Amino acid sequence: MLTEIQEGKALNPVVKHITQEKINLYAEASGDFNPIHVDESFAAKTPLGGTIAHGMLSLAYVSEVMTSAFGRSWLSGGKLRARFKEPARPGDTLTISGKINCVEQKDDVSYANCSFECRNQKGAAIVAGEAIVKVSSDEE
Amino acid sequence: MSVKAVSYEELIPGYKFLPATYALSASFAAKYLKAIDSAGDGFVPPLAVTACAIAAMTRSISLPPGTIAIHASQELEFFKLVPIGATIECHTQVAQKITRGKMTMLILELEVFDKGKEKVQSGRATIALPT
Repeated sequence: MLTEIQEGKALNPVVKHITQEKINLYAEASGDFNPIHVDESFAAKTPLGGTIAHGMLSLAYVSEVMTSAFGRSWLSGGKLRARFKEPARPGDTLTISGKINCVEQKDDVSYANCSFECRNQKGAAIVAGEAIVKVSSDEE
Repeated sequence: MSVKAVSYEELIPGYKFLPATYALSASFAAKYLKAIDSAGDGFVPPLAVTACAIAAMTRSISLPPGTIAIHASQELEFFKLVPIGATIECHTQVAQKITRGKMTMLILELEVFDKGKEKVQSGRATIALPT
């Protein structure tokens, strides 16, 4: 977890490699078997040209970054807004990063306002968004 | 879980999907953590809870063959830790349906409660569909 909640502080990034096997595992775990994710012959005939990872898989990686930085404060008091900008595809390597943009004080409670993004190996933004975490006093 | 599929035309603002109940067992958590390539921390990851809510909703929509539904954006707020072994109930409804040109954006509101009826998370998902 972060030892200091400071404006401008970068959150520890994570790097994930997307494979069709991982997408299939995610489909089984989540119960989302939309063919655009798991049916390669169906997906090849669509404008997307092939299977894509679930947006919620990429977002799970974002949550991992936030959990690593803020622990239980994130799990029980986090808030996020994410836009899925481009699909992640099998073979992509995703880097998920974030930073604390500002720390606000409201009614004696501190809130860390963060931004995050998930980019593929070509630098294309896959997911981008903002998150807010209520920072408990023992973590400040 | 077998539910009656709702047609695309029936998805109008105010439409409520049937609540879906999930037992978030240790095997479910392990399967999810393996899928997201994460070690976990003793609780059900909040995005696993969201995934259940979204899957319950998408499974009950009947789209014309060949239609691709794209998850365009997601908002979430977490209120409570969810222990492994907890049972959750997911409630989803259509908040808005906006058609622009050849695309329709469905905005869905979701709320998830634990067995004690306490809210564990809420959110809004935007799903883009060809009209």
